[in-house]
Amino acid sequence: MTAHSTAETSDPEPGPGLDLDKLLAARLHAARARPYLATALFALHVVVSRQVPTMAVDRYWRCYVSPAFVDGMPLEELAAVWVHEVSHLLRDHHGRSDRYARQHGLTGPGERLRMNIAADCEINDDAYGDGLVRPESAVRPASLGLPDGKLMEEYLSRFRLGAHTDGLSWLDCGSGADGLGREWELGPDGAHGLSKEERDAVRFRVAQGINGRPGSAPQKWKRWAEEAFHPPQPWRELLGAAVRSAASGPGAGEDYTYGRPARRSAGLPGVVLPSLRRRPPRVCVVIDTSGSVSDAELGSALLEVAAISRAVGGRRDLVTVVPCDASAGFVHSLCRGEGIPLLGGGGTDLRAGFAKALRTTPRPDAVVILTDGQTPWPEARPACRTVVGLFPRGRSRHDENNPDYVPDTPPAWARVVEIGSVGAGC
Amino acid sequence: MPTCAPLTLVDTPADPFAPESAPGSAAGTETAQLDVAGDLLTLLRHSTTEPRPDDQLEALTLAVAADLPVLLWGEPGIGKTAALTQLAASLDLPLTTVIASVHEPSDFSGLPVVGDDPAEQGVPMAPPDWAVRLVRAGKGLLFLDELSTAPPAVQAALLRLVLERRIGSLQLPRGVRIVAAANPRGSAADGWELSPPLANRFVHLQWVHDHEVVVRGLGGTWPRATMPRLDPERLPEAVDFARRAVCGLLAARPTLVHRLPSGETRRGGPWPSPRSWDMTLTLIAFATAAGSSRDVLSQLVRGTVGDGPGLELLASLDRLDLPDPETLLADPAGAELPERGDLRQAVLDGVVAAVRARPERSRWDAAWELLVKAVETGAPDLVVVPATTLATLRQEDWDVPASIESLAGAVGLSRRADQAAERTAARLAEAAARAGR
Repeated sequence: MTAHSTAETSDPEPGPGLDLDKLLAARLHAARARPYLATALFALHVVVSRQVPTMAVDRYWRCYVSPAFVDGMPLEELAAVWVHEVSHLLRDHHGRSDRYARQHGLTGPGERLRMNIAADCEINDDAYGDGLVRPESAVRPASLGLPDGKLMEEYLSRFRLGAHTDGLSWLDCGSGADGLGREWELGPDGAHGLSKEERDAVRFRVAQGINGRPGSAPQKWKRWAEEAFHPPQPWRELLGAAVRSAASGPGAGEDYTYGRPARRSAGLPGVVLPSLRRRPPRVCVVIDTSGSVSDAELGSALLEVAAISRAVGGRRDLVTVVPCDASAGFVHSLCRGEGIPLLGGGGTDLRAGFAKALRTTPRPDAVVILTDGQTPWPEARPACRTVVGLFPRGRSRHDENNPDYVPDTPPAWARVVEIGSVGAGC
Repeated sequence: MPTCAPLTLVDTPADPFAPESAPGSAAGTETAQLDVAGDLLTLLRHSTTEPRPDDQLEALTLAVAADLPVLLWGEPGIGKTAALTQLAASLDLPLTTVIASVHEPSDFSGLPVVGDDPAEQGVPMAPPDWAVRLVRAGKGLLFLDELSTAPPAVQAALLRLVLERRIGSLQLPRGVRIVAAANPRGSAADGWELSPPLANRFVHLQWVHDHEVVVRGLGGTWPRATMPRLDPERLPEAVDFARRAVCGLLAARPTLVHRLPSGETRRGGPWPSPRSWDMTLTLIAFATAAGSSRDVLSQLVRGTVGDGPGLELLASLDRLDLPDPETLLADPAGAELPERGDLRQAVLDGVVAAVRARPERSRWDAAWELLVKAVETGAPDLVVVPATTLATLRQEDWDVPASIESLAGAVGLSRRADQAAERTAARLAEAAARAGR
């Protein structure tokens, strides 16, 4: 660790004109206002730069500071900028920008500016207040006509550069925010950078601090701390993996059997070989059609299940659908792509749907249940692999007739995938 | 080069010897074309290598050297096989690649051969030829590729091979090392995944391609990894260090010893159990004896017990690296404080905590001396919190040391921050009042 030193130690005069005392007093104020970020704030290495317009970070945890910017900012706003810049690094905005750019084929500085703006929106909607003022120049989602509380990736899909962002073209939080290297940055080989392992260690210590004292951090930081090293995967992948493993696991679909001799046996007399036997998996989808699940949600989830079962080798006619509210409807086949009437509404009892699905002949290899979870579940494990696609609901639905009603969580024997949560790491 | 078209050249050769091969001229031309194609291929295949540190290859080498089952997770076509070829060459082991998905389970569990009198002699399970060759050679690197696209029964047979090193009735010798590769769940066509007990037996290494390496390699220069060498003199020290690291953490955090993965996202990945901690201990010892970097160790540890426990272990290793507060208090003049801000603050906090645990006049003075030293050699804002805490530990008959004047800068800084906090509170209150009106 001795290879690293801060600007202040290696160079007592980090640059002519920089009011280092003011900068460090601001950092102290920031660390007092956000004690759970102190480790990260102190891990930043200050580099004086006249080319950076304000304050910026690179992905190696160096913080570039313009002396003129420090002079012009009130100390309390400077503290807010410290928190803002360190948030870019903790939230891995550079890595997420790179991934987003790769996935969507985005190139060019304009797109990176857009990522910087979106990343700023993710930070700024709840970073200030409670001991920190919001700097005048901070970009907020509202100024772009967007709602608060979204992730950078969600903001990115919702706005374009245009007249309302013209005032932001000076904005530059460095490659730590949007992944694009700047000419004034020291780069991977420059002095005082943190290695990947060191960066992870700092982020981990901050997350541990937040998890250890959950009372003091706001909701969004708590969520960050929980997900920092386990970014939620996109639900499509998870649902796909769950359905595939349920439908193609041993005992369902394709596997070896000694029931019939293998074709190889002809060439090897005296040797008993198993043969590959293949039966396309049958998947039965039970759909919660009660009022609480929207048609759009159901439609996208149903399409996903159909696509997955096709990918496992299932045929369209082997996917059946049971709409279910308080009682189960007819069993439909997803054969010719005609619409399945998703009628229903009111309360849900998925036990009826389960029973219906298991009674279909031939029996399904896997049952997929799409629901918001506001339902009683079967007491015992059904004789079939079960995947639950759960539409997340903020709070439990209020039941007028029975205010004490608390819906059960899905049972442990089912594999549960939360649908609709966009992964920060995707 | 003459300016006429090349085709004319071939048809009417100016070479006086050419007409002699007239009967076979058509065949001769074709051979020539294939030769040219061969030359072109030789040129294309000609590439040089350059030494380049490669953390993931180093991690793989160490895990293979430690004889632990390794599972490489990586998208198809990113050079897992190339890496294994290089690894085999550097370890001086013959490489046997077995593509799991084109085999049948009996190829790994042994082919049942029915003899004359099965009831009397039993049915032997005959091993495949490559296994026999491996046993005869006594050493080798067995690479089981495409584990995830094989049908479940083949996977089951393969896992027995990886974990028990048995093929039918054949036991693989100790000199054989096994590495398996699988595609991540998202890209695997049939979504194979490991059950938690199986996942717990592997060192999971994520294999990713380095953009720079690929571009440079296609340009003709591939990297040549420098293989870690185990230093024979460091072996006892490495074992001691590894035991201290793992036992130190687990003594303080008993819940980390065994923790089954919960939730859909963490399925099929590494998780902590006494078995995987034992593997971690081995890997720390190997990485220490090889003098590997912390990045390599991080990949190995997180690939064995998972991210959370792995990072906790690495964090406690960092703390092992930090100077001991008692040593610093015993000799404040000769103390060397870490230069990175967050580590320095951790050390100073530790020093103050040590004084609080055993408050004595001499220790209190020594702590002040350390704080003064910290202000003189680094950022003053780090010192404010430890200094405030240390001041509260003063007992009545203790005089404030003279050297404390050096802390004036830090005190000033603290005052400015206090004032900023007051201004902030006022501004926020004003804004709230305006919003409320």
